Amino acid sequence: MPLFPKLTWTELKLFAREPFAVIFTFAFPLITLVVISGSFSIEDAEDFRGVAPWDYYLASYVGVVIGAVGTIALPVHVAAYAERGILRRFRASSIPTWSVLGAQVVVGFLMAVIGSVVLMIAGRLLYDASLPEQPFGVLVAFVIGAASFLTLGLLIAMVTRNARAAQAVGMLLFFPMFLLSGAGPPPDVMSDAMQSVSDVLPLTFVVRAIQDPWIGEGQDTTSLVLLVAITVVAGAIAGWLMKRGI
Amino acid sequence: MATVIEVGHLRKRYGDLAAVEDISFSVEQGEIYGILGPNGAGKTSTVECIQGLREPSGGEIRVLGVDAIRDRTQLRRRIGSQLQESALPDRIKVWEALDLFASVDTAGPDWKVLMDQWGLTDKRSTSFGNLSGGQRQRLFVALALVNEPEVVFLDELTQGLDPAARQVAWGLIREIRESGATVVLVTHYMDEAEALCDRLSIVDHGRIVATGSPQQLIVDAATDLQVHFTTDAPDVTWLQDIDVVTSVQRDGNRVVVRGTGPVLALVASALVGRGIIPDDLRQRQPTLEEVYFSLTDDGKGTRADATLS
Repeated sequence: MPLFPKLTWTELKLFAREPFAVIFTFAFPLITLVVISGSFSIEDAEDFRGVAPWDYYLASYVGVVIGAVGTIALPVHVAAYAERGILRRFRASSIPTWSVLGAQVVVGFLMAVIGSVVLMIAGRLLYDASLPEQPFGVLVAFVIGAASFLTLGLLIAMVTRNARAAQAVGMLLFFPMFLLSGAGPPPDVMSDAMQSVSDVLPLTFVVRAIQDPWIGEGQDTTSLVLLVAITVVAGAIAGWLMKRGI
Repeated sequence: MATVIEVGHLRKRYGDLAAVEDISFSVEQGEIYGILGPNGAGKTSTVECIQGLREPSGGEIRVLGVDAIRDRTQLRRRIGSQLQESALPDRIKVWEALDLFASVDTAGPDWKVLMDQWGLTDKRSTSFGNLSGGQRQRLFVALALVNEPEVVFLDELTQGLDPAARQVAWGLIREIRESGATVVLVTHYMDEAEALCDRLSIVDHGRIVATGSPQQLIVDAATDLQVHFTTDAPDVTWLQDIDVVTSVQRDGNRVVVRGTGPVLALVASALVGRGIIPDDLRQRQPTLEEVYFSLTDDGKGTRADATLS
């Protein structure tokens, strides 16, 4: 097998052996989705953009999986590689850092896909939640959203270069976004202050971009453009930091 | 013999800190070349610059005939590295690491042979995190050899190993050389350098303070050789007339002659010339360790005049 596929395959196996990353990527969104969807009834639909709460949340939690991989699982893993000299060890043996980071992005993307499929199966089985109304639109939003958060994850890793620091930064970014971006209370019950914070959180863009086509409201172009912008800026800084760190 | 590494006036600064001030040396094909020195002397910075892992602040490095900085990507495929302060992912298994590193160069030798050769087959499915220090080092050496390198860099390979594991590691280093590769060995263990190195450089404060074979360094550094013998001859003060003798001390029958260079041979011949034939004439030679301490600040500031190198 050529180097890059082998590296990606190895990283995939390593991810699967990392209990913290696995729990955070799969179990956490699944448990919270099941609990929060069960906390509301169909009568609450008007607080949830006119759709069933579980439909609303299922779409949101696909965004949460992307957020969890991008802000926690990927940066903690990559920062540990930088901290412990693993990137250096690889580089000295002609395995360039960009290929290690590239493999991580591919693994992160696959994890987000698997995590989302798990959520859809659970939502379907437990709440009879709707699958995407406009699957192609959801797919586009998913790819762009994942790209932006995985790039953000690389940026966190390259800034901290230390697993504990990456975890602290990641948690600090993840939890407010998790609560305010559409996975916590529905936007209509948030105060104005909470609402305006929510409006500028990157995870909100992901959730909206996925939710709109999911419930049949078409593509949220503004969010998609913002996510592409995040990908470009975060990617450029992360790439610069990667080179400087060498 | 071909020169495989040529370092000329290498400098490396980290901000205000000069790790390497001015280092020049060359390594011939097939030798085990030692770089010896106290912590922080600039050993690791030097070899990492040579491997293209750090950008030097100045100087020239040629390895295997190519520029080590400009052509580092090409060069890395021809060298093998065991780095200080590096690791593998804790959960990667021995065979996975070998398999992964071997896929860089598909024309390389079969990694299973290396795994066997370095005694890792029993541990093939053990995670890196669960290997002992000695097993990790063996894995690192196997990984360094997976691309059939022409030059192998070993940086503090035996640090933290118990004496038995160090002996094993020494045997492995000799095997690498026997396989035809040139070895650059960074160490701060004197016995290791003395046992393994054909030639070595002692580095301190980012400069080379001495270069040569271990034996040569000992001879050169012996500015204070002592020749001991016993005699009942009443007067031996005439030994002072020998050029290389600096002092003659007598304590009863015992005589200590201090001097430099070939003092033993000259004293012996002078004694025989006068009919004095002591049966216990011997020279007390410094060890490499004493040479090292006399040349580096590890010797608590008693730095001897570095008339060598």
